[in-house]
Amino acid sequence: MINISYYAKKRIKDYLIHFVMLVILVFTLFPICWMIYTSLKENTDILVGKIPLSHAHNNVVDIKVEGKTLWVLTSDGGINNLDRKTLNSKGHVSAQTMSTDFLVDKDYIWVSSANHGLLRYDKNNLKTKKEFDLRLPSFDKAKVGPTTLHSNGNNIYFTMKYKGYEQVVEFNKKTEKISKVYTVKNMFSPSQIQSVLAVGNSLFVGLDTGLIEVNRKSGQIVRSFSVIKHLPLGVERMAQFSRLGDEIIIAGNSGAFLFNIKKGEIVKNVYPNAVYGLNVIGESIYIGTNRGLVEYKAGVDFKKIFAKESLFRQIKQGGTVITDSSFTPSEVIVFDRSGDKLYLGSTYGRLSEYSYGAKKITATAAANPGHLVVSWVNYVDMWKNVDFGLYLRNSFIICGISMFFAMIFATMAAYALSRFDFPGARWISVAILATQMVPGIMFLIPIYSNFVKISDMTGIPIKGTFYGIIFMYSIFFIPFSVWILRGFFAAIPIELEEAARIDGCSPLQVFWHVVLPLAIPGIIATGIYIFLTAWDELIFAWVLTSADTMTIPVGIRNFVGNYQNRFDLIMAAATVATVPVMILFFLLQKHIVKGLTAGAVKG
Amino acid sequence: MIRNWLQKKWYKFKKYRFAYFFVLPTVIGMVALHLTPILQGIWMSFLKLNQFTLDQYVGAPFIGLKNYYDVLLNFKSPIRIGLFDAARNTFIYTLVVTFGTVFLGMLVALMVNREFRGKGMIRTLFLFPWVVPTYVTGLLWGFMWQRSVGIINIILVDILHLLPDKPFWLIGPNTIWAIIVPTIWRYWPFSMLLLLAGMQSIPEELYEAADIDGASGWRKFWMITFPLLRPVWSILILFGLIFNVYSFNIVIMMFGFGAGFPGEWGDLLMTNIFRNSFMQWNFGSGAATSVLLMITMILIVNVWFYFYRKIEEESR
Repeated sequence: MINISYYAKKRIKDYLIHFVMLVILVFTLFPICWMIYTSLKENTDILVGKIPLSHAHNNVVDIKVEGKTLWVLTSDGGINNLDRKTLNSKGHVSAQTMSTDFLVDKDYIWVSSANHGLLRYDKNNLKTKKEFDLRLPSFDKAKVGPTTLHSNGNNIYFTMKYKGYEQVVEFNKKTEKISKVYTVKNMFSPSQIQSVLAVGNSLFVGLDTGLIEVNRKSGQIVRSFSVIKHLPLGVERMAQFSRLGDEIIIAGNSGAFLFNIKKGEIVKNVYPNAVYGLNVIGESIYIGTNRGLVEYKAGVDFKKIFAKESLFRQIKQGGTVITDSSFTPSEVIVFDRSGDKLYLGSTYGRLSEYSYGAKKITATAAANPGHLVVSWVNYVDMWKNVDFGLYLRNSFIICGISMFFAMIFATMAAYALSRFDFPGARWISVAILATQMVPGIMFLIPIYSNFVKISDMTGIPIKGTFYGIIFMYSIFFIPFSVWILRGFFAAIPIELEEAARIDGCSPLQVFWHVVLPLAIPGIIATGIYIFLTAWDELIFAWVLTSADTMTIPVGIRNFVGNYQNRFDLIMAAATVATVPVMILFFLLQKHIVKGLTAGAVKG
Repeated sequence: MIRNWLQKKWYKFKKYRFAYFFVLPTVIGMVALHLTPILQGIWMSFLKLNQFTLDQYVGAPFIGLKNYYDVLLNFKSPIRIGLFDAARNTFIYTLVVTFGTVFLGMLVALMVNREFRGKGMIRTLFLFPWVVPTYVTGLLWGFMWQRSVGIINIILVDILHLLPDKPFWLIGPNTIWAIIVPTIWRYWPFSMLLLLAGMQSIPEELYEAADIDGASGWRKFWMITFPLLRPVWSILILFGLIFNVYSFNIVIMMFGFGAGFPGEWGDLLMTNIFRNSFMQWNFGSGAATSVLLMITMILIVNVWFYFYRKIEEESR
């Protein structure tokens, strides 16, 4: 047995303890750091689970083969011109926007985005860009939803997949103007438009609740079809199938179906699982899945000619790409075919070239990894849509005034209780302790109905105004403060007061001149504690404030509801809600710590 | 004789009129916003009060103990169904969180109590979670526990490969851990702070005497530190229990950002009552459930005090 000296043992113990402390420190600080870090990322990065701050490789959203070149279009509004032989990039430009969709025609590449409207790039000179305003309602600019483009002849149809934005904008390429705006409010409203398809005289609009047919001339809804049984999450993709225009394919999260327009119903289930990409080329239906690409050729009976499982060699079962530390499942979104070669674009910026003859993938390419991206803009965006400034101001007002009143009353009461043993003092002490043991909701229900009743009966606005909630907060924080302050007052030697009384001061003067100056540290500490607790208070504010007087906790709820899954903005709002409290805490931590510990030790 | 009694009362009042004056605002406030609502609440628990009858205020139809029956015994009532889960969850949650917080606080306080470089800064850093508002904690951890984009699953599965599959944290039995961990995370610094302050007031001579007698570290802790800290940790545990039974903010913001249902294993009593009262507008049964909760807590606290007094007297 090795004889370790006493001092060696002590040092080992020290290192061990320091190590454990470090681990706990990391556990303690990590979530806060993560919150700040996430608030600086872009939402698309967050949603694919990417950790580093650099841009995620963007999803390949569209591919077009033209002779020797390959246009690869990515979800950040990026346009890449690749050489087909080498798959090297010949030119690249990016609209640096979100939620894009593309159309490639003879001369131009059209890009749609939620915040820029419609952009047009010249194929020969990618630097030229023309922007067309699509008269998007201004409130929509901050609510970015994925956009969809569809072209039919000279017309481009633009829409946005946001619940409540029920419009399809028809834009004429030749005149470069909006020719028509279709409003598709229907019996399923508010609904979310997911796809658009123009066939013949009709415009088919796929919603999250069904499918409707709009007459292009009149702009009126002709028919509505409920396809919820087959596609409960909505009609995400549509493609024209038969050249006569009487059959279309509709597809979504639960499969692809053949829809007969004349009969107005689904006639066949083409593919039973989730569809991520849909294209009809020639007589084949190509369906992009999370296992690869599936091709169906039409015949009398639909027969699966070949199912391309595991097209991507690197994809293991379940579809996770296992290279270069990406953690995203890879789904085939888009593809184009030219002769023997089939080009597939998938999420996470992967492009694959598949050869029919060789029946395997002959080349792959990956979208350019991005530059470092720190999204300070999140902190600007979060103020725009939801009135966060209002909540901040309200919180300051309400917490500040409540703290002020609560401190005054609590100081008075604590002094009286600690110095004077008057009849009833014991009852009050017990009552103060008892209020801490009653659930908040026990008070909340009657107070809520009281406020409602007072507003009704007397017309004095109480519920939902500042007065109501400040009144409530002031009273509610008194018991705890009294409890803490009593400890402080007990620490002040009573001889000072007795001396002052002997000198002829009235009790009020004793309080004001002798006791109060000594108790200021404790009072400040208590006041800060009240402010912090009020800042944090949710359940009463939820019920007793209205839209004008909402505090931050309640406001953040609305905020989050509006920004469906915009985690970056949510984290930015969370950080902003934490910062004032953190600053306050830092400036005054000595007082707070001293205040609480003194009270605790005294019991 | 009555005049005598009145005169005595008046004299006492004059003697203490300063104190009464000082205490008056508080008393008025507490009567208005604490006492009256409790009485109203008890009365309301006997009424059929929902969004339709709210207008009638305290004159709403009197249905006696039906609310209580619905809550406790009526197995078909929708309120009862969720209540058992909520009660069970609250029970587990409270015990684990309270003892976890005190345990962790004690551990770290012991470690921080020694002299080393950067002690003040480390102590301040440890206090950070306390500053994060509770609803932000709920939001943040709700985001972190997400199954596919949450950082916790990413670390566990993709980086450290501790688990083969990404589990669901916000749905199913794992939810109880999903709500326990953030609460411990946020409240343990407070325990540490109080325990540390208590430890610093223990005189050094006790430890030196124990060292002379040859006591090991563990014995020193168990025989000196722990008993002398009893005032602190007993208060921490008592108020921790009460506070955690009434815990609301963190849990409500974790699921659907305040609008979602926490699930069978994530629901707590307070969120359950809140949902019944203000989202389904069943004020009467909400009041009944809170009355039951209040009575239970009062009983528990009384039992605690009884045992506490007994132990105190025995140790004298």
